[in-house]
Amino acid sequence: MPPDKALDGFGRYSGPATLILSSLADGAKHGYALTKDIESFAGVRLAPGTLYEALARLQAQGLIEPVESHDRRRPYQLTAVGAATLRAQLAAQRRVADVGLRRLAQGWGPA
Amino acid sequence: MRASTSAARAARLLRWYPRAWRSRYGEEFAELLAADIEERPRSASRTADVIRGGIVARLGQAGLGGGAPEPGGHRSSASLAALGCCAAVFAAVGGAMWSQLTTGWQWSPPGTTGVTVAMLAMSAAMLALFALAVLAVLPVAWRVAAARAKGVRGPSALFLAGLAVVVIGGRHFGNGWPGTGGHPWAHQGLVPGGVAAFSWASTLSVSSFWAHRAALAAFPAAELAWMALSPLAVAAAVTGAAAVVRRAGLAPDVLSPRVLRFETWLGRLACAAMAVFLAGTCAWVAPLLGAGALGAGGAGSVFRPGAIDVAGLAVLALALAVARQAAGQARVGAR
Repeated sequence: MPPDKALDGFGRYSGPATLILSSLADGAKHGYALTKDIESFAGVRLAPGTLYEALARLQAQGLIEPVESHDRRRPYQLTAVGAATLRAQLAAQRRVADVGLRRLAQGWGPA
Repeated sequence: MRASTSAARAARLLRWYPRAWRSRYGEEFAELLAADIEERPRSASRTADVIRGGIVARLGQAGLGGGAPEPGGHRSSASLAALGCCAAVFAAVGGAMWSQLTTGWQWSPPGTTGVTVAMLAMSAAMLALFALAVLAVLPVAWRVAAARAKGVRGPSALFLAGLAVVVIGGRHFGNGWPGTGGHPWAHQGLVPGGVAAFSWASTLSVSSFWAHRAALAAFPAAELAWMALSPLAVAAAVTGAAAVVRRAGLAPDVLSPRVLRFETWLGRLACAAMAVFLAGTCAWVAPLLGAGALGAGGAGSVFRPGAIDVAGLAVLALALAVARQAAGQARVGAR
C-alpha cells in the first residue's frame, strides 16, 4: 500500500494514529510515555482505550512494532513503513496548512 | 490513591476486553490504566472509553468489524461464524412466523393477494436458506470426517442427542396439531402438511404465550415441557457441533482460502435470502399494522399478525443488519 494511503482505513483513528506515529518518530516509547509526550506537544490527552485501539491497529498494519522488554510496560517503535507513512501523512497535512494560511493571509491580512 | 487500589480498579476495567486481547495487551494496558487512575482517580470519560474499546475489541474478535484487523483467514472465519449465528437466529424467529402462515394455509388460502405474495416470498427465501445451510455445512463436515480426530465422541453424542430430540419431538407434536399433519386436508397448502407441522412444532417455544401465564396454565403439561425443552435441545446440538469442529482441529485459520471464499459467497447469498424473507414479512405485517388489525380474532385470524410478529420483525431486521456487516467483513478477510 502506498505510504500516503496507509492511514486511510483508520477512519476516526487517523488522528490518534498520526499523533502516536509522531511521538514515536524520535524513539521507542511505552503507553504511559506516549500519553505524556502527546499531551506535551499536541495538548491532547489520549484516553487509554483509544490509545491501545490505535496501537493495536498500527501494529496490525505493520506501522509500529513492540520492542523486546522485561518490563510490564512494553515500548513500541516505528517501522520503516511507519516512518514513510508518517512522512506522507505530515506532508499532506502541511500542504493543507500552507494553502489555508496563504488564503487567510490573502483574505484577512497577515497574522 | 494507593497503588494496590488503582491496580485492582484497572484489573476490573480490563475485563471489558476479550481474553485474546488481554493476553496480548493486558499487562501493559493495566499498567497504563493504573497510572491514569492514580493521576485522575475519578474519570467517567476514561471508564466510558475503556468500555467502548472493550466492546469494539469484542466485536472485532467476533468478526463484526472494528478493532484491529486480524490476519485474513481468522478474520474471515470469525465473521462467518457471526453470520452463521445471525442466520440461525433469523431462521428460528422467521421459521416461527412462517410456520404460523403455512399452518393457516393448510386450512384455507390467504384472503388477500398481499399475504399470498408475502407467503410465496417468505417460503422461497426459507427454502433458499435451508439449501444454503446444507451447502455451507458440507465442506466443514467433510473436513471433520477426514480429520478422524480423537475426543469427538462426547460432543458428537451431544449433537446427535440434541438433533434427535428436536426431530422426534417436532414430529410428535407436529402430528398432534389438527391444522397440519393430522388434518385430513393436509397437503392442500403451500408446503406439504408434514413440513408445516414440523416447522410449527419445532419453533413452538417462540411464542407470546410466555407472557400470558393464565393461557400457559391451560396448556397440556407435555406441550409446556416441549416448549421449554426444545430450545435446550437446539442449544445442545449447536454446542456439540461447535465442539466437534473445534476438536477436529478445524481452527478458524486452518480452513483453506478456497473454502473460505465459498462460505463467504454462500453467506452473501444467505443475506439476500434473508432480505427477501424480511420484505415478505413486512408485506404481511405492515398493512395490518397500519390498519390497527394486529392480533384480531375471527375468520382467517391465523393470517393476522400479533404483537409477537412485530417483535419478531424487529429481531429479523437486527439479525439481517448484523449478518450483512459480518458478510462484508468476511469478504474483506477472504480477499
